[in-house]
Amino acid sequence: MGEPEELSGRKQSAVEMSVLALLVVVFLAVSLARQRHLLAEDPRQSIGIIVAAGLTLVMYSFLYRDNPLFKIAENLYVGVSLGYGAILTWRQALRPDVYDPFFGAPTWSAFSVAALHRTVPIILGILLMTRLSRKHGWLSRYSYALMIGWGAGVSIPIATHSYILQQLNAAVAPFQDAAGNQAASAATFSGPWLWHVALPIFGAVVVMAGTVAVLFYFFFSIEHKRGGSALSKLGIWFLMISFGASFGYTVMARVSLLIGRVQFLLFDWLKLPK
Amino acid sequence: MFLKKATLPLLIVFGMGLLAFAQEFVPHPLSGDFREEMTTWFRIIGGFAMFIGAYSLLHLHVTRIRRQMAGWGYSVFVFLGAAAMIVVGLWNDGVGPLADAEEGKTWFDWGYYFIQVPCSATIFSILAFFMASAAFRTFRAKNLAAALLLIAAVIVMLGLVPVSETVSKALFGDRQVFARAKDILMDYPNLAAKRGILLGISLGAISQSLRILFGIERSYLGGGD
Amino acid sequence: MDAPRADMRKLNLTRWVIYLLVGAVVVLFCALPLEQEFEASKDVKAVFNRVDALEPGAHVLLAFDYDPASEAELKPMSRVLLLHCFQKKLIPIVMTHWSNGLTMDKGIIDNAAAEAAKEFGRPFQSGRDYVFLGFRPAGSNLILNMGENLKSAFDKDFYGQPTRAMPALQGVNSLKDIDLAVDFAAGATPQMWIAYGSDRFGFPLGVGTTAVQAPDMIPFVQSNQLVGYLGGLRGAADYEALLAQSYPKAKAYATRGMVAQSATHVLLILLIVGANIRLIVGRLNRKQKGRSHG
Repeated sequence: MGEPEELSGRKQSAVEMSVLALLVVVFLAVSLARQRHLLAEDPRQSIGIIVAAGLTLVMYSFLYRDNPLFKIAENLYVGVSLGYGAILTWRQALRPDVYDPFFGAPTWSAFSVAALHRTVPIILGILLMTRLSRKHGWLSRYSYALMIGWGAGVSIPIATHSYILQQLNAAVAPFQDAAGNQAASAATFSGPWLWHVALPIFGAVVVMAGTVAVLFYFFFSIEHKRGGSALSKLGIWFLMISFGASFGYTVMARVSLLIGRVQFLLFDWLKLPK
Repeated sequence: MFLKKATLPLLIVFGMGLLAFAQEFVPHPLSGDFREEMTTWFRIIGGFAMFIGAYSLLHLHVTRIRRQMAGWGYSVFVFLGAAAMIVVGLWNDGVGPLADAEEGKTWFDWGYYFIQVPCSATIFSILAFFMASAAFRTFRAKNLAAALLLIAAVIVMLGLVPVSETVSKALFGDRQVFARAKDILMDYPNLAAKRGILLGISLGAISQSLRILFGIERSYLGGGD
Repeated sequence: MDAPRADMRKLNLTRWVIYLLVGAVVVLFCALPLEQEFEASKDVKAVFNRVDALEPGAHVLLAFDYDPASEAELKPMSRVLLLHCFQKKLIPIVMTHWSNGLTMDKGIIDNAAAEAAKEFGRPFQSGRDYVFLGFRPAGSNLILNMGENLKSAFDKDFYGQPTRAMPALQGVNSLKDIDLAVDFAAGATPQMWIAYGSDRFGFPLGVGTTAVQAPDMIPFVQSNQLVGYLGGLRGAADYEALLAQSYPKAKAYATRGMVAQSATHVLLILLIVGANIRLIVGRLNRKQKGRSHG
């Protein structure tokens, strides 16, 4: 029973390898044909575009199935990102903040200022890295304690103001605006009253009711019975509409990313007219 | 040893947190100077923190190679890629790591533009296919909640694209019907839900910060006492 | 034993047909030189009008907080906003919280400056007409640092030039001195900029986000914590269309991409609606069969 399956598996593998070899030949032929002018003018750029197109197509091969070429490209990408991040950290963080203030200080006074303000954070940064050691990892707690304590302390008033008070204010503001419009409006039961008073109030009521319902849905400390159950259900409906809207935007996001890559393949690799 | 225990770090967390909280409400210039000094400190410490992530990743792949786990050969490419970028980055087209080469033309930039950028951009673009397939196979209006989700998704998907203006003009004589429907959906029910979620998350974050300050939450200290 | 295998084959076939359809539609409509007219949304108009109202010499902080994974959506809006700043003789100050996007950011600025130089007839020089500060770590602490003393947070720009006496940063000592900030974000940086930046230091803030995050910005727009937002590729296309009224060549990547976007959305809507019609018809048939047997 196993033998015909094994043979069929080997046959499929042979077919796949042949198709892959053919695709590689076609890719190289097309690349050389479309990039021949740029290859002559700027070989580094042209080879780069061919490599980028090749990696793009290899990544898309995952749609067929996970394969060795994809895994190689994926791991190469991880390594290149790591190397890039390390060099950027040196150039953009450690060199200007740690190396230059000491070794590039133009005067003894500048060196003293650097020593005064930067010695402690540099020591704390080095202590931070001891987290990787099982024996000396306890030293990193002091660096983490300072950072976490600062972050937690700063975030409380800031989050309270920006994410809670400002949002509550905005939830109430349409009622205040409508009340102001009502007072200012001379007309009643006419167009201006409808647009400037009634509809905004209706909209504000919908938003307020929805906000309360959603908050109530996530409140699990009491059982959602009777009236609570109805409010919770209303919360679910608002959440479903919101998730549907988010899905619609997510579709646009993912398709945009695909459009970006296709534009690269068509206009930069294949040099189609724009 | 006292320094190895968690007591002192917890006291530091509390003290630092109190100072950070208080300086928000103190208008004295010293408070501003303190804030500037602290933010400079954490900017410098942040530079060192980035190496921890790099080390963890490399350690994972070294372990894979050393133990010859399944797929260990691919981990070699991680080191090849990282080593190549670090070498060309430090060499910096001949000027070395302490100077600035002509930007945009080095081999370091080449590696970034023609390996990192295409891989990074393509990996996420694959999701478009998976999303289309999943939407077709699973998006069914089996109950009211699912129907609401579906209708909202279709209205937004239609309202976001220019072709909806053509369709709207043909059906209703007004180009903006679908766009307005999308705006109403976003500005009222979506706003309500997002605001509710935002308020809930913010309250949770504040309570978590308080738990950290009072030493109830200690996971950031790592293992041990 | 054959029934599950037949099901798997059917599933795979369906999957493949959809992949091929999506791929074919995107490739076809990207390659065809089609154009569509559309009206910009009110939120994009709000950001555009805010930038347009600034006087020459005003400072606009642009935070390019994204990496190449979000390039397709955020690079077009970064480009078009830079062009708008150059057209209006504003001084863009560019920085980033994301180190992985730094070289890409430099490329965007260089290309925009070159395009603007060609189109507006004057060269744009770093340090005089714009500033590229680069990257520093520490997220929200960096914003607080910039809010107190921007030149201490970035004592040198990306090119190693000291910021202390830089002509482009004359009069700008902290975030309180900038006239407008726009955050182009692939992550949670808009919320960070709102809480630690604009609410605290009082500068107006707009955002450009990936489409995934756009719905999350609505509460902040309604509360006036944001002047407006650009959501995804459509947001970028809207801004290109607005700028094209005075600079026609503004229409580029995002506008071209909207044709393929339209076609793909229509395809997906048809697939979803078709699948649901099939579900409803199937249910009705089952109900009828049940009645006829009962």
